Amino acid sequence: MITLKYFLGTAFKSIWLEKWINLLTILSISIGLSILCLFLLITFNVESFMKQWTSSFGLVVYLDDHITYEETLHLEAQFKQDKDVLSVSYTSNVEALDEIKASLGANAVIMDDFKENPLPSIFELELASELLDKNEARQKADSIKQLPGVNDVQYGEKWLASLNTISDTMRLVAVFFASAIFISTIFTTYNTIKIFFYRRKEELKTLKLLGATNSFARLPFLIEGLFVGVVGGSVSSALVFAFSSLATTRIVEFMPSLSVVLSPLPVQVYLIIPAVGASMSLLGSLFAVGKIRY
Amino acid sequence: MIKLSNVEKSYDDAVVLKNCSMAMERGEFAFITGPSGAGKSTLLKLLYCSEQVDNGHISVDEWILSKLKKRTVPYFRRNIGVVFQDFKLLFNKTVFENVALSLRIHRMDPREIMERVKLILKEVKLLHKSDVFPQYLSGGEQQRVVIARAMVSQPMLLLADEPTGNLDTDNARTIMRLFREINTKGTTVLIATHNEDLYYGSGRRVFFLNNNHIEKEIVG
Repeated sequence: MITLKYFLGTAFKSIWLEKWINLLTILSISIGLSILCLFLLITFNVESFMKQWTSSFGLVVYLDDHITYEETLHLEAQFKQDKDVLSVSYTSNVEALDEIKASLGANAVIMDDFKENPLPSIFELELASELLDKNEARQKADSIKQLPGVNDVQYGEKWLASLNTISDTMRLVAVFFASAIFISTIFTTYNTIKIFFYRRKEELKTLKLLGATNSFARLPFLIEGLFVGVVGGSVSSALVFAFSSLATTRIVEFMPSLSVVLSPLPVQVYLIIPAVGASMSLLGSLFAVGKIRY
Repeated sequence: MIKLSNVEKSYDDAVVLKNCSMAMERGEFAFITGPSGAGKSTLLKLLYCSEQVDNGHISVDEWILSKLKKRTVPYFRRNIGVVFQDFKLLFNKTVFENVALSLRIHRMDPREIMERVKLILKEVKLLHKSDVFPQYLSGGEQQRVVIARAMVSQPMLLLADEPTGNLDTDNARTIMRLFREINTKGTTVLIATHNEDLYYGSGRRVFFLNNNHIEKEIVG
């Protein structure tokens, strides 16, 4: 505890003495983390937008023309028991024809040219969000297609594939950004601490000659790195929060309908950012003090 | 207390010490002298583990320096005080902080640090300059700060490398008086100097270092 006070004192004294280089490091870290967080914010919003957009995604099950009433009831019961199916809606071929005629209005007579009702009876199945993946959806459609009485199953396969591609690309870019910023933050702190180390090389030599251990000499540098990271992360948190609030307000002003879709980052993220900054910075400092010999 | 047997030390091809042997008793006050480049500083560096011996045996008290592991060196150094030729004062710390540094390395209680530092600064007559930075002190005052820093942890051995090298006669006399006082408290003192005035008439043992070894030993 006593020694910790000394280490903190030494670290903060150095932070003050080297305020400009520390300020630049803090700025670099906060800019890096802010870019990362803004990208996260965009990815988060795109994903949430896609989730809402696809919430009504489902399969259309076309039934055989000659399916019996009992078989239809059996199929309906099967769909209702399926945990992947959120809701089941049945439309008979007669109801479908009536709906088309209603939509055609005065032109409905063209449907009278058909000797038989050309439309099949259908089940519309709303699927659970876990199945909003092109492979999962295809598997489900194929399994339903095997059921007796089912003629065909259709769903927005291409549309779903495009959404999946967008989502995967955004995640990939997010991982790339995160890695790049992670490395650059570590490198920035590494360089800063290395500069401090060289500037105080003589002082460190003296400390060692007086009997200081490596950890005694190095700990203030680690505290300094940790502090720079925490401050950088906190500044970034504040910037992203301000941007997010401002952007949401402005966007909703122009397009009020988007208010349902726009989502702010969870509060926990704003608390995690300083911790991320601190750990990256600490890692950079550890590399720096571990590598230098004096 | 100090024992050197057939010590050898070279820097690249230049041999500095060869077959160098000497011994000192606990509580003794001795000098080591010789021409410039004879190896006085190197010998002291070997004693405070700033350099490693190539061959031979060196021990200080229970510590066998020739076999000391790198990670143990800091703990050994805490038992000795060194007055460096170039002072090695930290110019971003006050006189008080410079002296207190040894005790902080010992992880001593701040209240005890305060008491001990004040006491030692009083002994070297620098208590009134506690809050002054070293660059604002004279050479003699800076040397007294270095002595205070070396002594504050009450080491078993004090090594001084040319402690009066840049000082006038009055200041040199003051410094020597401080060393004698330290010695009377039980600390073994070894001073490396080429200044004959320091050891003539002192009644202490003087080791003459020449041609890479202790050539002779006299009483000053």
